[in-house]
Amino acid sequence: MAIQTFHLSKSFGNYRIFEDLSFEIPTGECFALFGSNGAGKTTLLRILATLVRPTSGSFTVLGHDGVTEKESVRQVTMFLAHGSHLYDDLDAQENLRFAMAMRGQYPSHRALKVALDQVSLGAFSDMKTRNFSAGMKRRLALAKVILAQPQVLLLDEPYNALDEGGVQVTNQIIREVTQRAGMVFMTTHDREKAHLVAHRTGLLNRGLLTFSHTDQHPAHDIS
Amino acid sequence: MTFLRVIQWVVWKDLISEMRSRETLSSMLFFALIVILVFSFSFAMDQDAAQQLIAGIIWVSFAFTGIIGLGKSFSAELQNDALEYLQMSPTPKGAIYLGKMLGNLLFMLVVEVMLFPLFVLFFNLNIVEEIGLLLLIFLLATLGLSAVGTLFSALTVQIRAREVMLPVLLLPLAIPVMIAAVESTRGALNAQPLTLYFHWIELLTIFDVIFTVVSFWLFELILDS
Repeated sequence: MAIQTFHLSKSFGNYRIFEDLSFEIPTGECFALFGSNGAGKTTLLRILATLVRPTSGSFTVLGHDGVTEKESVRQVTMFLAHGSHLYDDLDAQENLRFAMAMRGQYPSHRALKVALDQVSLGAFSDMKTRNFSAGMKRRLALAKVILAQPQVLLLDEPYNALDEGGVQVTNQIIREVTQRAGMVFMTTHDREKAHLVAHRTGLLNRGLLTFSHTDQHPAHDIS
Repeated sequence: MTFLRVIQWVVWKDLISEMRSRETLSSMLFFALIVILVFSFSFAMDQDAAQQLIAGIIWVSFAFTGIIGLGKSFSAELQNDALEYLQMSPTPKGAIYLGKMLGNLLFMLVVEVMLFPLFVLFFNLNIVEEIGLLLLIFLLATLGLSAVGTLFSALTVQIRAREVMLPVLLLPLAIPVMIAAVESTRGALNAQPLTLYFHWIELLTIFDVIFTVVSFWLFELILDS
């Protein structure tokens, strides 16, 4: 099982975001989570990324406890959040090299070039990311996923700011992760695009999570 | 090996970013030049008073200049939520701390090396015989400030009033370093026998070790909180 949560709850002060969430997501699956603004989608994602502690309950990522074995979870997980996690004064290639070094990975010049070409940023490898558009920053973040090859990929609103080509690149990367027995957990408002790659979808509403299978990937397709 | 490489990469990233933006060094230098000019005009008429106070003046300038640099150290990590990426990275957080601390140390030393000749010029200091010892004192005291300052820079970066909170938290803790730095600098500038102020240099070394080790261990807690 890629992700298992046990009675997961999160509150900010007196405000209860969600309560008693218990669910499992197997490897090889792309799961898309929907919900209105403030439903707690990003909070749930940030808990799974070990950025925020749950108020109560626990979770595991590939068998590692998300609270007591954070470093092991971080080894296998990558989280693309709202922020691009880029340094404006570094160029695209330097940003990738630094980001990979922080994961203990040191890709070759050729691997960097291949990753940048794959997200159509090969021609901008020497440009400072200060001059990048929001969509280009999103693509550069995707290049990190190509290089890092995480087993668990967490995506927060992955289609934001992307053009049609960017959406195709994103979905291609999602398929590659699930095909190599990884797992993708995304939150999005864009149901149409998510349905192209998601095996299951969920709706987080008033602290309750309900699941459904997508037409593209009926239940028996899930490994 | 990974530990050392992470330190290298963090220092490299901070140096490259600073070389391109010149944001931190230019603001540190500008502030320090104003301080030197004000003090040099204040003591223009009374060279004896200046000689008595010069060690304190030097360290007030260096400390406040350093605080400007330290304040910018982690605020750069807030751009595009880059701090979040460091938090999630599976690398040892102590290595990230040491990389940030060494970067800050380097920036502060560069500014000090550029400013000190101006102090010599404006306050007519005779430093030829003690220059080696003075540089050692500068290195030790700046290391102490950088060690504890980097930790507090990380601690205050997400606070709304971080510009106020950093000096409020840092300066009381840095007082032992400041006193030892002033006393040892005064001894060296007045060409006193080393035995008279060597204990201050020893004290600086002890504070450096304590501050670096404690900050190293606390950094992970702060980054994760």
